[in-house]
Amino acid sequence: MTETVIGHRTARIDGELKLTGKADYAADHNLPNQVYGYPVPSTIACGKLLGLDLDEARQAPGVIDIVHRGNFPQLQPSDNNPACGAAARLYRSPSTMGEENKVGEVRLPFEDDGIHYEGQYIAMVIADTFEHARAAARLVKARYEVHEAVPGLFYTDDEGEEAGDEAVSRGDPAGAFDAAPVKLDQTYTIAMETHVAMEMHASIAHWEGDRLTIYESTQGVVFQRNALAQIFGIPPEKVTVIAHYIGSGFGSKLFMWPHAVITAVAAQRVGRPVKTVLSRQQNFCNAGNRPASRQHMRIAADRDGKLLSIRHDSYNETSFVDEYTESIGSGTPRVYACDNVSVSQRRVKVNHGTPTSMRAPGEVSGSFALESAMDELAIALDMDPLELRRRNFADRDPSADLPWSGNHLRECWDDASRRFGWDQRNPQVGSMRDGHEIIGWGMADATWEAMRSHCSARVELRADGRVQVACGTQDIGTGTYTIVAQTASELTGVPLERIEVKLGDSMLPAGPLSGGSMATATVMPAVAGATRKAIERLKQLAVAEGAPFAGKEADALEFENGALSDGSQTLSFAELLDKLQRGMAEGEASAAPGEEKDKFSFRSFGAHFVEVRWDPGISRLRVARVVSTIDIGRAINPLTARNQVEGAIVMGMGMGLFEATEYDPAGNIYNNNYADYIVPVHADIPDIEVELLDSPDYNFNEFGARGVGEIGITGMAAAIANAVYHATGKRIRDMPIKIADLMEP
Amino acid sequence: MMDDSAHSPNRSSQTSDTLTVNLTLNGEPIALEVEPNVVLLDALRERLDLTGTKKGCDHGQCGACTVLINGHSANSCLTLAVMHEGSEITTVEGLARDGRLHPVQEAFLEHDAYQCGYCTAGQMMSTVSMFNDKRIGTDDASVKEALSGNICRCGAYKNILSAVQSARQKVGEA
Repeated sequence: MTETVIGHRTARIDGELKLTGKADYAADHNLPNQVYGYPVPSTIACGKLLGLDLDEARQAPGVIDIVHRGNFPQLQPSDNNPACGAAARLYRSPSTMGEENKVGEVRLPFEDDGIHYEGQYIAMVIADTFEHARAAARLVKARYEVHEAVPGLFYTDDEGEEAGDEAVSRGDPAGAFDAAPVKLDQTYTIAMETHVAMEMHASIAHWEGDRLTIYESTQGVVFQRNALAQIFGIPPEKVTVIAHYIGSGFGSKLFMWPHAVITAVAAQRVGRPVKTVLSRQQNFCNAGNRPASRQHMRIAADRDGKLLSIRHDSYNETSFVDEYTESIGSGTPRVYACDNVSVSQRRVKVNHGTPTSMRAPGEVSGSFALESAMDELAIALDMDPLELRRRNFADRDPSADLPWSGNHLRECWDDASRRFGWDQRNPQVGSMRDGHEIIGWGMADATWEAMRSHCSARVELRADGRVQVACGTQDIGTGTYTIVAQTASELTGVPLERIEVKLGDSMLPAGPLSGGSMATATVMPAVAGATRKAIERLKQLAVAEGAPFAGKEADALEFENGALSDGSQTLSFAELLDKLQRGMAEGEASAAPGEEKDKFSFRSFGAHFVEVRWDPGISRLRVARVVSTIDIGRAINPLTARNQVEGAIVMGMGMGLFEATEYDPAGNIYNNNYADYIVPVHADIPDIEVELLDSPDYNFNEFGARGVGEIGITGMAAAIANAVYHATGKRIRDMPIKIADLMEP
Repeated sequence: MMDDSAHSPNRSSQTSDTLTVNLTLNGEPIALEVEPNVVLLDALRERLDLTGTKKGCDHGQCGACTVLINGHSANSCLTLAVMHEGSEITTVEGLARDGRLHPVQEAFLEHDAYQCGYCTAGQMMSTVSMFNDKRIGTDDASVKEALSGNICRCGAYKNILSAVQSARQKVGEA
């Protein structure tokens, strides 16, 4: 294939809509006759809801309805509950990945009178305006029986329960550890983090008879459609979920949260569209988080630095309403060559909302401990930390006994270390100075599994000369609209300006979640298949009786630059369709991963090199420079791909230096806002230099793309902590690094 | 910045709950009928269907709702609509003129200075305001400091900075 569009820097096709305010995010829709929902959150983290006093709220201006446990459809048939609306009862979503109906919290809203976390919804006020709904919500009074909360992982000695399917063991890790000459036994922790996507969760639900349409800020329109159908007990065809634009999600919008169910029930009860936009505070409590984690890492090597044993035992928080497992050690058996490895994962119940995936879930946490431990081991061996990693390069996937489809980690090390100037590093702690600043240099590896799912797409070559591509996936800001258009443009020769892409609607052919860095590798093959089918269809129409190419073999026709040709006659598809008096030639196709996954292990690798500057006089720590080289297979759009990696590096800085969702001993979050939950801002941003290796992985798919969203965040916190050690001599094993940690003698 | 020329809005004759505010919105004079507790951001989004201005926190912490009020950037979530009698307000919908993108919009497109696009209106409105504020230096550090009230959770900061610096030249040339 001659590539003219794919692999080239391409400005987003949806850019102008985003820059002029015309891109329609969920809450931008205002439907006729719409009213507003405002949830009432629990103010306690653990206990029982004894009762609600709704009188004052009911009499407040503009209030139309208040939904709560007393009038909400329940799991059990509710003959004795005539206050319920049209839906007499609800069902739980089975919440499985396989059936594509996973939800963020399986418990239905108001299902029991238990309070399991602060912010859990106890009611929702429906009013004519946003202001009236918010004002009345504050008038709802609740009576509670307060129980002692488990405020978080770091407050409890509970060992929790083992997630058995996470356990991995090979060789004799304990024996090898005991016999090894150089060893390390340390515990690492990471604070709970919150996604804080700029766009808050929002639902607008609208019923027309028994059909539900819901505008939602979601990373998965198909998943939410399926889940709502299960919960209401109606066919999926009766539910439409729309998410044309999403103010990103980072995992928090993969799976539906309870506000959407309450909003849909409320819309049914009042017979009008209901718009609910969660407050920023509610986003912290009710829409998932990266759970706090504790990792016990035991790692050993011989005197030449050859790894002899890795034992990685992790704990993550889960809630009292769901079992959430963070697969923290999932990368550990794969990244380095080591014969004796074990991994385990335990879940500890705490009074928080249910955690969920957050950018590079599991592995980013695991990479902090593993890459910190590698740095500590290098120091124990008096060896350069990059050299230690080189000595343990895995030339096959050690956990699957499969060859890598492509492991370009060595090129990443070479390229990034050269650009960074790593050979100028003086290993002695605190030895590199610039005026009153002490410079620290640290590095870490990055890695993320390459995944692919199944996908369908439809392509229409239209009589007006335009090409329309439709797929029920979403663009959360990663650039999916653009790579879909690039794919169709590449195969048809039609310029991008004449390609329209429809995404973010569950009525379209089913597409994947926007998550796990798998959208690109999943969507492109389906779009390519549909494009080829549309071209085939066009050829068949062209050779039919009475058509311009009648009598020719369809296979003998060439399709190039949007035109069909038999060598003597050339017609653009628009001209041809016009002659045929047809509106379009269409094709629909599905694509899924095949046998390649049994032949190869697919994983991306990269390396981060970080410079920090520590000014001990004023206790000032800054990341000054990040140089990263990442292998993502083929960069379909280098402009947006690099942006993704740079953004992930910024979020990794957040994990290393700033981000912590903090709970008081009663289980209430005390920094549930954008001022007190610190994320990197413009002034924090260092010089970031990212290079993407151009090494297409054609074993994975025909375009060689492996996915790009997550890998950049992995390893970043460790690279920063390793650089901080080099500057200060202080090994910080608890993220985020706090200035106070560095001031202690 | 507060509007120092604000007059008292007139109590509406229609209902006792609402007031009429006369202001200029993206160059057009409008009379807004609104309750006194309606925040400017919500008035734009829910009453005037100008949804390009985004809500990210409702507390003046994230910058997504930044608009220009009499030429100066302001968090539209921190000011009541009724305080803007006589104000000239510009939202992202008013940046492009006669179908042509503003140089800041062009630079954001070219430099891929966004990902999800949700903070973008605020980033651009703060940039336009910053260009008009001669107290703010033109070097990268000054720009980063000046724009630090506009959070981009996608972390597209590097591209935003290059877009802003490139747009500065174009705005200067225009």
